[in-house]
Amino acid sequence: MNVETSYSGTTAVATVSGRVDSANAKDFDQALRAIIDKGVSGLVVDCSGLRYMSSAGLRVLLIAIRKTNAAGGGLALCQVPDHIREVLEVSGFVRLTKVFDTAADAQASFAG
Amino acid sequence: MEVRNELHLALDGDEPRRVAEMFEEMAVEHDVPVDIVFKFQLALDELLTNVVSYAFDQDTSDAAIKVTLEMKNDRIVAMIEDNGRPFNPLLDAPDPDLGLSAEDRTIGGLGIHLTKAFVDTLSYERTEGWNRLSLVQPLTAHSEENA
Repeated sequence: MNVETSYSGTTAVATVSGRVDSANAKDFDQALRAIIDKGVSGLVVDCSGLRYMSSAGLRVLLIAIRKTNAAGGGLALCQVPDHIREVLEVSGFVRLTKVFDTAADAQASFAG
Repeated sequence: MEVRNELHLALDGDEPRRVAEMFEEMAVEHDVPVDIVFKFQLALDELLTNVVSYAFDQDTSDAAIKVTLEMKNDRIVAMIEDNGRPFNPLLDAPDPDLGLSAEDRTIGGLGIHLTKAFVDTLSYERTEGWNRLSLVQPLTAHSEENA
């Protein structure tokens, strides 16, 4: 798993790639916490390179959703591969976070 | 061609991934549709993560976890066996309340919820000190769809 982040004011786009499972969910959690701790309240997670995610990854997303909500922003996802989107739907996560086609659309949702 | 592999797992948090990736490799070779490869792999990962995390106490010298993976012409079959504490994930795991807000949601039971949604037939039995979970996914319906 790899996370690359680009910052823009109080929003950021974190592009996660590879595999997120119980073996490395801790690393994913640390990566998102570090971003939010820099003062980011609108976090976009770009899933274009995400090959696999189990419920361990959902747990990490849930924590990040709570933290960004509490900061007055939120978490949005973009470029979600179909099979990961199904995980989000079956787990009810589509109600907790918005899913956008592009990172730009997701980032724009935090403007104003 | 039908293939059968038996794996013995150490009590280690990295083992579910090893099995999931081995399954993925077998399934791709067997021309299993990618959608089924992903879902079945996730089910194996979730169930094994539960076993590795919760089935055994501190004293693990007698711990045994075994996984059998079978690729048949019309279905995929997996059997997960462990000699840990009795636990039927199909009944004993809490059902997540998917209607709650992010603040009120708990993550417990989500792995099993996904597993139940993603695999056609799951069954559990406890016999002679062993938990035995079987997963069966037919392949025919899907190939008919693609025909």
